[in-house]
Amino acid sequence: MHEASLALELLKITQGVLAEHGGSRILRVKVAVGELSAVEPELLRYAWEAVTLESPAQGSVLEVEFFPARQVCPTCGPVQRSPGSWLPLCVSCGAPLRVEGGDELDLLEVEFDVNGEKS
Amino acid sequence: MSQTADVRMQILEANRKAAEALRRRFSQEKTLVVNLISSPGAGKTTLLEATVARLAGKLRTAVLVGDIATERDADRIRRLGLPAYQILTGGACHLDARQVEGALARAGFGALDMLFIENVGNLICPTSYDLGEDFKVVLLSLTEGDDKPFKYPAIFTKASVAVLTKVDLQNIVDFDVEAVETQIRTLNPQAQVFRVSAKTGEGMEAWCRTLELALAAKRA
Ligand SMILES: Nc1nc2c(ncn2[C@@H]2O[C@H](COP(=O)(O)OP(=O)(O)OP(=O)(O)O)[C@@H](O)[C@H]2O)c(=O)[nH]1
Ligand SMILES: [Mg+2]
Ligand SMILES: [Zn+2]
Repeated sequence: MHEASLALELLKITQGVLAEHGGSRILRVKVAVGELSAVEPELLRYAWEAVTLESPAQGSVLEVEFFPARQVCPTCGPVQRSPGSWLPLCVSCGAPLRVEGGDELDLLEVEFDVNGEKS
Repeated sequence: MSQTADVRMQILEANRKAAEALRRRFSQEKTLVVNLISSPGAGKTTLLEATVARLAGKLRTAVLVGDIATERDADRIRRLGLPAYQILTGGACHLDARQVEGALARAGFGALDMLFIENVGNLICPTSYDLGEDFKVVLLSLTEGDDKPFKYPAIFTKASVAVLTKVDLQNIVDFDVEAVETQIRTLNPQAQVFRVSAKTGEGMEAWCRTLELALAAKRA
């Protein structure tokens, strides 16, 4: 359950972004969460709702973009897979596969109100 | 009027910076640092007791151990006459780099060859936090079931060493060791996998040799 710690970090960073741009209220925050980031998007959304209460981000939307990991064959390239299932070997040539990507845990965008007006 | 700022940074940027500072320091001090991660009770402290006891006399080791409460684990290491420091996280399910930095300042270990960091018992949360270690070790005990690597893939992709613990129980529990090793290699083809029993000593030599080789490589 480190989603609460992550949401707190996110609030700190986004408040910094808000101050830097002279914004008044955070409306939407977009994050990237990879399949191998050890983060549950749904739990992160709940945590965001909780930590933003009484803050300039209260009521804001946390948009989570999910990034699956890729399994890559050294000769045939990326193989088809669905999140959560893992192929033991390349379906075309039988070679062992590398796992790439899917560890994203990034802040991408912050949308905010300027001049205290509603959008 | 609304405006959108493109940010693109890690959510754990602050931890990443603290971890990089630790990594530079460990590299200057030439201390090998290992971050041990497993679910509660997989045998982290028991493996460390056996490991530091074996290395004592040869190498200067110390253990930092994170738990939500109690000094029990650090006490177990100190009972061997070896240095240990307990980090109490007060509820947090993982260690972060700042806690390690603070604990090192208070522990006063002096010069070390190897520092072992026993993370809070949890197979998920510690995965996200870099502690400046040379590598992560994931432990999986035979009593946890042989489906765990695919159920908790994140830590198995990030740990360069996997230790299957309590292998003395192999005839008691249904645990397909080969199947688990296949899952681990699928997630991380480079991973080194050890079968260890801290109780009987099986596999301890190979595990300790790997640590010593890693230390030698860091000092080369
Ligand atoms: N049979 C057997 N039991 C073991 C072995 N290693 C550990 N145990 C037992 O497993 C239990 C948990 O071991 P610990 O070393 O305390 O586990 P831990 O991972 O440090 O636990 P937490 O710090 O609470 O997460 C203890 O009762 C140990 O005696 C082993 O190799 N064989
Ligand atoms: Mg322990
Ligand atoms: Zn192929």
